[in-house]
Amino acid sequence: MLGPMVTPSNPPLHDAPCSPLAADLLRHSVLLVTGKGGVGKSTVAVSMARLAAQRGQRVLLVELESVSRVAPLFGLPRVGPTPTEVDRRLWVSCLDSVDSLRFFFTQQLKVATLVNLALRNRAVEGFFKAVPAVKPMLFLYHLWRIEQDMGRYGEGRFDLIVCDLPTSGFTIGMYAIPDTLAHVFRVGSMATYAVGMRELLTQPGRAGLVLVTLPEEMPVTETLELRADLLRRHGIETAAIVVNGVYPHVMRPEDVAHLQAAARAAPDATREAVDEWLWAARLLAGRRERAVAYLKQLQHAMAGRVVELPFLFRRDLPLDAVDLLAHRFGATHEGAA
Amino acid sequence: MSAAAAALPDVLRDSRLLILAGSGGVGKTTSSAALALQAALAGRRVLVLTIDPARRLLQALGLHGQDLPSNTPLEVLPLRRAHLPADALDSSGELRNRGTLHAMMLDAESGAIDMVERLLPTAALRDQVMNNRIYRAFLPALSASPDYMALELISFLMSDPRFDLLVLDTPPMHNAVDFLHAGGTLAAFINERVLKWFSKVPLPGQKSRFSILGAGTSMAMSVLGRLLGNETLPDIAEFFASFQEVLPRLRERANETDRMLRSRDTHFVIVTAPGETSLREARHLHRELREQTMHIAGFIINRVIQVPRMLADPRQLVDATARLRQPLLDGGLGLAESAALTERLVQAAARLRHLGEADQAHVASLRRLAGTDAFCTVAAQREDDIHTLAELRDLGARLLDASVAT
Repeated sequence: MLGPMVTPSNPPLHDAPCSPLAADLLRHSVLLVTGKGGVGKSTVAVSMARLAAQRGQRVLLVELESVSRVAPLFGLPRVGPTPTEVDRRLWVSCLDSVDSLRFFFTQQLKVATLVNLALRNRAVEGFFKAVPAVKPMLFLYHLWRIEQDMGRYGEGRFDLIVCDLPTSGFTIGMYAIPDTLAHVFRVGSMATYAVGMRELLTQPGRAGLVLVTLPEEMPVTETLELRADLLRRHGIETAAIVVNGVYPHVMRPEDVAHLQAAARAAPDATREAVDEWLWAARLLAGRRERAVAYLKQLQHAMAGRVVELPFLFRRDLPLDAVDLLAHRFGATHEGAA
Repeated sequence: MSAAAAALPDVLRDSRLLILAGSGGVGKTTSSAALALQAALAGRRVLVLTIDPARRLLQALGLHGQDLPSNTPLEVLPLRRAHLPADALDSSGELRNRGTLHAMMLDAESGAIDMVERLLPTAALRDQVMNNRIYRAFLPALSASPDYMALELISFLMSDPRFDLLVLDTPPMHNAVDFLHAGGTLAAFINERVLKWFSKVPLPGQKSRFSILGAGTSMAMSVLGRLLGNETLPDIAEFFASFQEVLPRLRERANETDRMLRSRDTHFVIVTAPGETSLREARHLHRELREQTMHIAGFIINRVIQVPRMLADPRQLVDATARLRQPLLDGGLGLAESAALTERLVQAAARLRHLGEADQAHVASLRRLAGTDAFCTVAAQREDDIHTLAELRDLGARLLDASVAT
């Protein structure tokens, strides 16, 4: 009747059914998870990584933060750029732009002395920090190289990389990088990289884009616009849209109507109590109704590629709550709303 | 930081620039519009600015189906005073205190072009930059980081005599603090040292002058050449050469922007919402703003679940349930249906109470952070979005009241 509660008795995930959509998503070598701030994009990224790991894949979860947000979930104070195993088959790597800059220098210059010279040179560092779009470029380069080392034929260290990307602006910038580089660098190694990065982003089965949203007007509109924009500009089709925080079907419009009738019938002495109940029913029925409408709109645009995750009525999301979402993710199927 | 907190009405009265900052999805645009409207109703001549997309601002201002032209202020009030409740107007039907409200969208791309045009003194230089391969390739990227351009344009708008208050809805960013550094970014990109190196690189069609480079520069150029490819260096050199003459002005603009952000009549309002992520961002932003000696006026916490008195108290739940029984029956519901509905309501109330308690804890921790230096005001989670100017006015009025109460 009510939505799921978080209890220790959540079923183990390896027993969980895996829907065709979830299975399809987990077949990519990279999942790029993005969305507006505050939509729960990081939670969704961790849930997907957990689902994949518990289903037997070796997963690297990449965060683009100066301080890892995922590490505390696993009782670790911090995680750096080196992949750290936080649970069975799950590694976390936390990269900031300096890590990616160092990686880029190391790959390009090879000689350690030169790398340190370049990193210590304030003007070189300043130049790289200030070039517009340099952050998405350095990250895309870094990701491309990690993905190349994955060994898609089984010998590599990881089977799947899940990236928790910063805001959608970063994502738009990242998808534009291969074109920008191709314009600036017509020959040479950078031109070659542009080709490689483009292939990572466009070839089937490699980088899959997952857009996370809330069932609210602006996030939904902006998600659909982002999807259309990437399709039009770069021919990128979004792999899935994840709708996070869907209020469960707790109260219906007719419940609100009954309470309104009750409020009209109530004498002054009990009126306040009835109004309070009416407040609860209105809030829940109203948010549910809107959520359903936005889910319909998204399913209309992306039939069969919409994942619905429930609102859990809590502001913190410990690991058991994340696992509950992971379970829902695997169980999701078209028209679940 | 001032010793005593000014309440929100004082802040709206005394600021020239009000910057609403915070992570995305916390209702920043709606809050900006609500505060701008309150300031206009109090008699100020207000321009509320958003970066993109403008639709959110338009929607909050009740201007549906209208396009907000970029970089041109659109008059909202007094033009649409008919959309306000009668008590906002004086006896002659005019807006009280003769305030005005304009809305504007900053278009980063055309902003970037305008800025380059304003900076470069001659048409020949402008053409050179506009046709430069590097510039053209990076222009979309430059526009994708709107913070790059926003501050530059704002310092320009501050001198517009039509307005005496600018309310800025900052772009949602990975790190909201990036915004503060935006002013210096271009100056850092085009700094003297970088210019000096590239001035030694032969421009397209010139012969190499590498031989005259000093050992250090020569090393740096060799590193950059290996990183970016030697064949690209002349284009980059040309790009930098175009800016050589204007570097002092660029630096001056960056300093001006910096002064503007720290000025006594510039205030920051940190907008947030319950939730671990938003709360962490708000704390981070608060720390950064303090470290940089910016003036923090206060916090707005949106979307707080405010559970009413009886439902918030588990001890009163039995009583509240008992008081529902007869009215439900009187309202026409059968006994069994009524019991089933009550059962579901009790479960729902438990969840909302849980959520409400978490939200109250978040609000309390921000109040502690605000201390006596800053106001802290709360807006309740709504069941619907704001769609009209009247709703926006109510929201703003509640934000103002709640800020005085603290």
